[in-house]
Order: sequence, then C-alpha cells, then structure tokens
Amino acid sequence: MALDGKRLRDLGLQSERLLMPTKGPSNFEEEVNDLEQKVGLTTLEKAVAWAQTNSMWPDTFGLACCAIEMMSIVASRYDIARFGMEPFRGSPRQADLLIISGRVSHKMAAPLRQIYDQMLEPKWVIAMGACASSGGMFNNYAIVQSVDKIVPVDMYVPGCPPRPEQLIEGIVRLHEAVKAGVPPAYELRSVAK
Amino acid sequence: MTDFGAVPGLVELIDAHGETTIVVTRERLADAAAHLREEHGFNFLSDITAVDYLGWGDAGVSGYIGTPAGRDLNTPMTQGYQALPQAKPKRFAMNYHLLALRATRPERVRLQTWIDEGEAVATLIGVWPTADFHEREAFDMMGVGIDGHPNLKRILLDDDWDGHPLRKDYPLGGEPVRFSDAV
Amino acid sequence: MATVTQRRRHGTPIYEHSRIPHPTPSVLTTSEELRATGDIMTVNFGPNHPSTHGVLRLIVDLYGEDVTGLEAVVGYLHTGFEKNMEQKTWWKCITYPERIDYVSFQNNEYVFVAAVEKLLELEIPAKATWMRTLLCELNRIHSHLVWLGTSALELGAISMFWYAFRERDLVLDLFELVTGERMHTRYFQVGGLAEDIPRGFYPEARKFCAWMPKAIDDYETLLTRNKIWLERTQGIGLLSADDAIALGQSGPVLRGSGVDWDIRKDEPYLAYHQVDFRVPVYPEGDVYARYRVHMDEMRESVRIVDQCLDRLENMEGEPWIADDRKVVLPPREELHTSMESLIHHFKIVTEGFRVPEGEAYVAIESPRGELGCYVCSDGGPKPWRVKFRAPSFVALQAAATMMQGALIADMIAAVGSLDTVMGEVDR
Repeated sequence: MALDGKRLRDLGLQSERLLMPTKGPSNFEEEVNDLEQKVGLTTLEKAVAWAQTNSMWPDTFGLACCAIEMMSIVASRYDIARFGMEPFRGSPRQADLLIISGRVSHKMAAPLRQIYDQMLEPKWVIAMGACASSGGMFNNYAIVQSVDKIVPVDMYVPGCPPRPEQLIEGIVRLHEAVKAGVPPAYELRSVAK
Repeated sequence: MTDFGAVPGLVELIDAHGETTIVVTRERLADAAAHLREEHGFNFLSDITAVDYLGWGDAGVSGYIGTPAGRDLNTPMTQGYQALPQAKPKRFAMNYHLLALRATRPERVRLQTWIDEGEAVATLIGVWPTADFHEREAFDMMGVGIDGHPNLKRILLDDDWDGHPLRKDYPLGGEPVRFSDAV
Repeated sequence: MATVTQRRRHGTPIYEHSRIPHPTPSVLTTSEELRATGDIMTVNFGPNHPSTHGVLRLIVDLYGEDVTGLEAVVGYLHTGFEKNMEQKTWWKCITYPERIDYVSFQNNEYVFVAAVEKLLELEIPAKATWMRTLLCELNRIHSHLVWLGTSALELGAISMFWYAFRERDLVLDLFELVTGERMHTRYFQVGGLAEDIPRGFYPEARKFCAWMPKAIDDYETLLTRNKIWLERTQGIGLLSADDAIALGQSGPVLRGSGVDWDIRKDEPYLAYHQVDFRVPVYPEGDVYARYRVHMDEMRESVRIVDQCLDRLENMEGEPWIADDRKVVLPPREELHTSMESLIHHFKIVTEGFRVPEGEAYVAIESPRGELGCYVCSDGGPKPWRVKFRAPSFVALQAAATMMQGALIADMIAAVGSLDTVMGEVDR
C-alpha cells in the first residue's frame, strides 16, 4: 500500500483534523487507534471491514425534517457517493445502514422495528438528529424518547436538523469505528437486540 | 358587514380583531352550516378546531398591560387595567372556520358552538365534504363525538390509544428531564 | 415530437358531476361486483416507501392494475405539537411551528407569529414586513424545488433531483447567511425579525435572482415538453374545480383545477399588495397543470424577491422589530442605563410576555395552499390552544377522488402532485 508508515500530512493531505500543528490526533482518533491495537483484527477481517464501510448502502428511512437534510447529502454538493453510499435502497432487505432521520412517533415505532428486523446482518443504525437521538424538543406523549429504546444505535448525530457535513462526519466516524473493529451495536448492547 | 341575523340557532355574534364569530346552538349546527353555505356563499371550510376550556381562568392571569402602539417605559403610572378572562358557557367549543371563496369580496367567518363532555355535534360532511378528516381529528384529539360521521376512527393516533391527548386533563407525557423544571 | 395539450377553456368542467366518493369522501371503496369476482388484491403502500412523500400509508385495492379502492392512513409522524406548545411561553413556541411543515418552515413561523401579533394588535415596522415577504418567497422557491426534485424522481426523471437540489442549496446558503441556520431558521419574532439583516445579503440575493430563472428554464427544457413526462402527467389525477372547493383544496391543487384563488392576491398580507406578480391558473385539473403552476410560481417568486430587494436596499438603519417593550426585548445598550428596560428584559425572558385574551385565525398562502393558525389566549404567558390548519392534511382527502379510474402507476404521480408533507398532515 502506498502509505508505508508515512503520515497523510507528509503526503500533502491537509484535512481539517491535521490543520492544527500543536494538536495531535483528536480523542476519537486516538481511541480508534488504541482500539485497533487491542481488537487486533486479522488481515482478512480488516479487508472485510474495509469492503463493508466503502459500500454501506442506506435504507430510505426519511421521516421528517432530517430527511430533507439527508436528501441533500445525496445531492451533488455534499455528495455521499464519494463514500460509496449513493444507492439508497428501497427495500430494507438490501440495505446495510438505517439512518433514522426524524422523529419517531409511537405509531411509527412498530414499522421501524419491522424494518430493522428485515435488514440482514451486519447492519448499522445512525440516529440522525435530536429527535431520533433523544426525543429532541418533543418531550411528550407522542414521540419515542430516543430510538435506542427500539433499535440498537451505533452513532448518534445531534442537530436540529444536523448540517449535511455533520451527518457526513457521523457516517465517516462510523466507518472508522467499523474499520477499527468495533462490532455493530446489536452485538454490544443487550437492549432491543 | 354582512347581516348574519337570519342564521338558524343564532346565540350571539362576536366581532373581535377583525373577525366575526357566529355562535349557534348545538342542535341547529347543521342547519346553520347549510344556511351559511346556501345564503351567504361560504363554500369553503378551512378548518375545524376543538378547544377545551377546562381550567379556564383558574390561574390568575392578567391581561396585556399596554397599548398596541407601544408604551413609554420611563413614564410612570401609564399602565392599562388588568382583566381576568371571561367565563365560558361550556367545556368544549367547536370552531368552524369558513371562507366564502369568490373573486369579489371574499369573506371569512367563524361558526362556533359549545358542547359539554359527552355531547356530540352533527357531522357537516353533507355540507362540506372536507369536514371528514377534520372531524376525525377533533374526535381523536379531543374526544368530541360526531353524530353521523361514516368513518369515525382515530386518525392521528393508534387505533387502540386510550384517552384524548389534547384535553386539559391529559398529561403532556414524555420523560422527566434532570435538573430542569421547565418542560 | 412532443405536443403540449390543448388548453381546456376556463369554465368548461373537467368532468361532469362530482366524483367525491360516498359515503366517506376520503375513502374510495371497491364496488360490490368487483369484490365478488375475487380478483381484488389489497396492497399496503406502507409508511416506509421510497415513493410516498414521507410516512404515508396507502391501503390500495387493486383489480389488476386498476385502482379500485384507496384509503390513506396517517398519523405515523404525529408529534403532539399543539400539546407541547401549550406548555411553552409564546416566545419559546416559535421554534415549534417550523417543524410542522418542514419544507416551508418560514411560512409556518410566520403564520403563528402573525396570529399572535393579531391578538396583540402590534404594528410591525416596514423593514421587517419586507424581509419577511422576501424570506417567505425564498421559502416558496425552496419548497417547490424539493417538490420538483422528489416528484420527478419518483416518476423516473432522476436527473431532476440533482438539478433541483443544486439550486436548493443556493437558497439554503442565503438562509444561512441571514439567520445562521440552513433550515428551521427561527428568524421571525413577535414584532418583527430577531436580528437585523446582515451585510452582504443583498448582493448574494441578487446573484441568486439572476441565476434562478435560467435554472428554471433548464428544468422546463427537461420536462415541460418531454413526451414521457406528458404521458405520465396529462389526464392523470383529475380534480374538477367544484370538487376541489368542496374538498377544501387550496394552493397549486386548486389553481391547477382552474380556480383563481391565491391568498396573497385576494386577502393580501405582509407586503404582497405592494409587489407585482402573476398568479398562474391552469384549467386542466391534472398533474401536468399542477406541475405548470409550480414552475410558474417559482418564476413569480423570483420576481417578488427582486422587488423586495429593491425596497430593502433603501432601508438601511431602519428598525427591524416593533418598539413595544412589553413584548419585544429592549436594545442591549438601554439595559445599561434604564432600570425599567432591565426589569422588562428580565420579565420577558423569564416569565414571557402576555398576550391579551381572545382568539384569532390567520391564513396565509404557503407553498402547499392555505396554511392557517388558530390561536386562543387566556391572557397569560402561554398559549391556551394553538391549532394549525395544514393544507396537506386536507389535500390527502382529495386522493380518493383523484384516483377514480386510474392505474397504480398514476397513483404515485397523483399523490406526488398533491405536494403533501407528512409533518404537516400529522402535526
């Protein structure tokens, strides 16, 4: 592989995380590095994780306002096709990633669980927005206060609605976590498995 | 100003904030609706709103102290008078917002009727078919009975939901938030 | 060679008599003789479906490919807005209406704020009125772009999605420039605007207005005379003018059926009586007519934005919010010198301002139709009852009437042309 232990910065990559010369890698990156050491994936597992992250196809599960911002990451400016995620599958049986974008009412909770169950392992869930992460501003009788009461969640993306860049950050962190060896949430969390 | 004196079941005509409210008795509601559509040309039903006045006036609220044009803060003793909200005749009000959709002189009016817990209003689907969903919502959220509705099921909540959430004695629900008294 | 349909003359009925189903206007039921054949298949277009706009459930009876029965089940996005708003002070309430119709958020904000201002009988400064008009029209463009992108996507014109969302990002850039937030801007305040208009907005908005008509020309080149588009939208989803009025339709659905009714022209609010714009009305009553109404409305909105910019550029330094200190926060400089200002600031922030007892209903022309807000106040700092009249809620009732004698593929086109946003439907 072309990297051979060189830092990305030495190869001319000036991504946001490398822009602060006095600051080292972020907490998340340090933890991911540690995890990689501890989990110790085999080369084959690493290859599988690489393949999974680079074509993690989402399911069209747009519920409310966050769905509109999710649509805009598919559009040309915030293009997630560069992450391999352009084909939003209509059928959950063909999807890997469930981006729950929007508020989940109690009436919708049953279809949500059904969609989640229809997905095949390995599957990941991103709770996009404040309403999916925690119930958001709707602390009332109608909204499920966080979808992790119903499905196990891998990544919470806050915001109301989160900017497309925020959602892409969440997706990229999920990819990094998967490549580091973090198993999908249904293996970690015992709730709603 | 249109003359609404001939509306069947008329109890009161209120004129406030540029809006006319026609209050009718519950029994003559369907006749009043038909009259308004035929005689006055209100062919468009915008909205049906059910309001629950349980607990109205319990909290000692005071009215807006000031004038619309603003007040001079630094001039003392220029407050307006305080007022308590007027008592309401019954617990629920059903408001029908009507529009006379015509090119010359379109007009809006509110048809209002008062009902108690357990009383029902007649369906207005025969007058304005658009009342269908609105009446189902009033039933679902407020528990207002609709007589003669062909499809009176819950519309916004689960079919087996218990209670009517928009009533004042139904709790807001949700989860308690630590360190926060505010809802 | 694609041909554009012959325009039906205004006044001729689209179909004879009424097609509203009986007894329930919003439910199309299969006839008994078709049921007796045993060939009816009931299909569930469940809440999670790529082609229904949001979480709409349609229970459809099919006889082969013909739609013989249709029922819309809603409520999958019921959020309890109205109950939540009763617990918040008037100021905190304003964040809620935006999320009801999450595509045309500023129109929702405006209708609630207008109803509160009606009860307060506040006078809004001219700069705020013009800026509100401008933002509402930009929001109309935003909403129509989302509609165009998603509806065309569903009918197979996938490229439209990319083009429409490219312009949509330009509109959101403008919102971000003014308010700091792309969507759900929370910029309207009771009394005017939350803050002054930032520098640099006017040139950016002018650039957008110069670019947008060309973009709309691009869209029309792709779709308006496209043979496939014409085949899939002309004669589909017919709704006559009388049925539309009886079913409470408004907005593009009503204007696509030949009824000339636009609240901006017929019951003007904001600064609409001071701008020059056309209201497009098409008499055919089908999906194609509604599409044409949407496209023309986008052009007119750009013209309105231009006219608002002309006025606003001469209003530098004018107040952007009303002067009523019982409702509006005092300017920060005053807090250092005036004790009363400090007290009022404190009271407005902690307890909230009070709105006089009364009830008001305000209706505006949102991109979907008549958006209404009914507000009832008991004189206190919190609303007693807030109800939103959502145009999409009413539009779904027309689905059953429109789908008479249609095929299943037409259902997607017809329901899409209603431009429903489920957040509005379920509130």
